[in-house]
Formats: sequence, C-alpha cells, structure tokens
Amino acid sequence: MESQIYKIHQQLINKEISCTALVQEKLDLLQQNTFNTVNSLLEETAIELAKKVDAKIANGQEIGLLEGIPFGIKDVYMVQGTYTTASSDLLKNYKSAYTATAIQKLLDAGAIPLVKENCDSFGHGSSSENTIFGAVKNAVNPALVGGGSSGGSAVNVAKDYTIFSIGGDTGGSIRQPAGYNKVYGLKPTYGRISRYGLMAYASSTDCVGPIAKSLEDIRIVLNVMSGKDVKDQTTYKSDKIKKDLNTSNIKTVGYFKNFIESKAISNEIKVDFLAIIDKIKAKGIAVKELEFFDSDILVSTYYTLAMAETASNLSRLDGTNYGARIEGDTLKDTYSITRSEKFSEETKRRIVGGNQVLSQGFSDEIYLKAQDVRNQISARFTNDFKEVDIILSPVTPQNPPKIGDSLKDPLAMYLSDAYTVGFSLAELPTLTLPKGTNTGLQLTADKKNDAHVLQFANLLNDIL
Amino acid sequence: MSKIMTVDILSSIKGAKPSESVNKLFDVIKNANQQNNSNTTVHNKVVSLNDLREDVVVESSAIEKEIIKENFPKEKNGFLVVAKVIED
Repeated sequence: MESQIYKIHQQLINKEISCTALVQEKLDLLQQNTFNTVNSLLEETAIELAKKVDAKIANGQEIGLLEGIPFGIKDVYMVQGTYTTASSDLLKNYKSAYTATAIQKLLDAGAIPLVKENCDSFGHGSSSENTIFGAVKNAVNPALVGGGSSGGSAVNVAKDYTIFSIGGDTGGSIRQPAGYNKVYGLKPTYGRISRYGLMAYASSTDCVGPIAKSLEDIRIVLNVMSGKDVKDQTTYKSDKIKKDLNTSNIKTVGYFKNFIESKAISNEIKVDFLAIIDKIKAKGIAVKELEFFDSDILVSTYYTLAMAETASNLSRLDGTNYGARIEGDTLKDTYSITRSEKFSEETKRRIVGGNQVLSQGFSDEIYLKAQDVRNQISARFTNDFKEVDIILSPVTPQNPPKIGDSLKDPLAMYLSDAYTVGFSLAELPTLTLPKGTNTGLQLTADKKNDAHVLQFANLLNDIL
Repeated sequence: MSKIMTVDILSSIKGAKPSESVNKLFDVIKNANQQNNSNTTVHNKVVSLNDLREDVVVESSAIEKEIIKENFPKEKNGFLVVAKVIED
C-alpha cells in the first residue's frame, strides 16, 4: 500500500480535504467503533490542533509532512493532561503529568493525537483481553482476539481509524497484533527510541515502535521518534533511514529450522513460510538454515526476566501517591488490599512470579540462570549475523485464538510468544510484514541495522 | 535472624500463591544447560561518565504540579494524606 502520510499531506496542501474534517471523521469512527479499541478520546485538543493546521494552510504557510496527520497512542504512554490507565483498574483515573519523549517528538512535528488505545493491562498479555475496557476484537474477524498487548493500536490502524499508531513491544506486543490484523509493526533496536514516559513493564526489553499500513509510513514515524535522550540513558544516537531503500547489501537470509520443524506450528503457516523461502532463493539470494534455542527455553527465559522486572517496576503502584487506594487499618494493609483488588489476575500472576524468582534461594537457579541463557541467546545472534544479513521467521506459530480462549490457559498464551521473544531478549530490530503467512512474516537484522530490515521488507513487497 | 517472607508478603498481594503455569516456565529454566559464560556478557548498559546527564534540579511546571496533586488518592489542604506510616 502507498504511504497514507504522503497521500493525506498532499490532500491537505492541495486543499482537497480540511484537517478539521479529517480529524472529526476519524474521531467519529473511533467513537462509534465496536472493536473496543478506545480507552479515551482526545477530542477537544485534536480539533483545536486541526483548526490550527487549517489556518496555516489557508494563510499560505508551509506545513511539515506529519502536520495534521491523525494518530493513536497505546494507553501506556504519558501525554500531559490525558488519562493514562494502562487499561488497569488501579490507574483508571490517573492523569499524566508530563509527555513521553517519543510522543512529544510527534507532537512537535505536528501530528495530531486522537486516542489513547486499549491494550493488555500494563502490557501483560498477548490478546488484549486483560483490560478493563473490554477485549479488543480482531479487525479481520471480530470473533478472534486483536492480539496484544498493543491490540487496540493495531486494530485502529487496520480499520483506518488512525493513520498510524504508537505501540509498545516488550516480547512481541507490536509485532504479534500487527500480524494478527495484517498491518506493519516495527520493534526497533532497543535504545533507538527513548522509553521516557512509557509505563515500564520490563525495562530491559521495553521498546517504543510504530504500527502503520505502509512501510514508508513506518520509516517516516521511526525517523521522527528516534534519537538520544538524556532522560533515557539506554538511548543511542542514530542516523535517519533514507527513503531510497536499496537492497543490494542483502546477500544472505537465514531462518531457524527448529521454528519451522516445531510441532507447535500450524501446517498452513509452515507451508506458506517455506514457499516464501523458495521465492527468495529464486531471486538469487542465498538462504541458510540456522539452529536456534528451543521455543520453551526462549519463552521461559523471557517470562522469567520480564516477570522479575515487572514485579520490581509495579511495586510503586500501592495507592499511596497516585492511582486508586483502598484504605486498610495500617499502611501495609492499605498496600495489600489496594493491590489485591485493583490488579488483574494476570498482572498478579506476573508480579508473584517475579517475586518468586527474585527471592533468596531461588534467584540463583532461576533468575541468574535466565540471565545467563539470555547472554547465550545474544551471543548466538552475534555469530549468526556474521553469516546472514537478515533472519526471517513467522510471527506466530498459530492463527489468532478466539476471544476467551487465552484467558483460560495462561501457559498456552505464554507459549504463543515463542517466535517473538528471542529477538526482544537480544534487543534486535524486528518488523512484522503483513504478507506471506496468515499472521505475517518477521524480519530481523543485527543491532542498530534497522535500515536493513526496512530494505529487505521493501524487496519482499516486490516479490510476494 | 532471617525471616521467611512468603510471596504474598513480598508482592503485597493478599492471599497470593505461586501459579502452576508460571512454575512450569521456571522448571524449564532450572533444567536448562548453563554455560557460565560470564566473560561474554553482552547486556552491559554502561553509561560513560562523560555521557551522564546534568545533576541539576528541574523545576516542575505549574501544570505538572497541578496534575500531580489531582492524582493524589486522598488530599487535605494541598497535602497528600497517607495511613499511619511508622509501624513495626
């Protein structure tokens, strides 16, 4: 699909549409939608900003490429003065006091935020059912889940309610819903975009990233949000990715043989994936089979570390300074009653799991061992990228589940993240391309080679 | 001297118990092969001394202060009200 951002930009400067009418149309669509994608609408500020863009155009002033482009924000980002609930009961009435760096950069470029989007509470889930705002329905088949945790964001883009949305990806939370709803979603290299103002789930893998309907829109939004930020000391300085996505430097593509030979993968996804490998070979690109860690090791390593980090990050939520509070007889009682009643079952499961692995007597055999396995995973990728330029994999082993199924079986939900979590642990740039298999394809390059991912996606767009 | 802390106490969640599903994940890690490759740690997030941010106090804006107060679960005369803090 062509760039929606360029298309709307041209329509605005040619005065074919007004920004106010465009924003109002999208707000109406969001308000009326039955997919449960909206936590709160930012109606007043959106219309005010749109009027300013129209006034600029009417005065003959130039507007920037993102000026007047309506977008959505997963409800885990701080945007000053807006409700920021993380889809949780505990923060149902919490208002952001400040704005996240990534979002501020988009605001500075003139993009117009329309909506805080539904997601799994605190990012805890792979289906966007763990939310107080109702399960997000899949854009293609509403009986299925929207995916998660950035489900509302992916569905809004797929249904054209937003031009692009900003999701958050800790273990696959942008890539999996993008695949389930047939749109593009990018988890950049860890540290490329500042996490300042993103509600922390697992800080060592949390990433900010765009969801959009075209590769070009992903590139535009990524470039605007990237860069070093003193407020997040894990960020690094990066070059802008150029529009001309030359593919000549991609000579070898790898894929994990054990992912494709796994008993967990559906036959349909397996067959479709192998057909793509044949098409790539037919283009004269070398393809190499790679060995990788078993899915259960990847999932267990990821969840051990993510639970430990979330137990620590969410310990601040005790009803003292902000959020809901249920009074007990003592301060400790107040903490535990508030947390017991206001956290969801899935969030409690993860906090308890995190405290288990961090506690004395268990940290050596579980937490520290998981850290060691994570290092082994990263080392394996370092070696693999000496031999291949891109690693290709399915996004998920199975098609999206029906709404209700994931909540019944948490272990099955954790295992459904088997193909996304490894790339998160290794901090690699990974894109979902909504082609090839029913839930898309994942393209990964070595750290800081986000441009390679977009380049190869461009090539695949030509051959698939 | 050490006091055993159960997960419900550690998590400040009443009646919390370890989950069977999560324990299955931990069992996989317990049984995983370990390489003890501490020399090849690749997750160093070390910030150079020259790269540290300025050690300065940044005054919050009036709107920030107003929202922070608005978020107080319980407020009295502009102050945050908490339950009895000093105990055992």
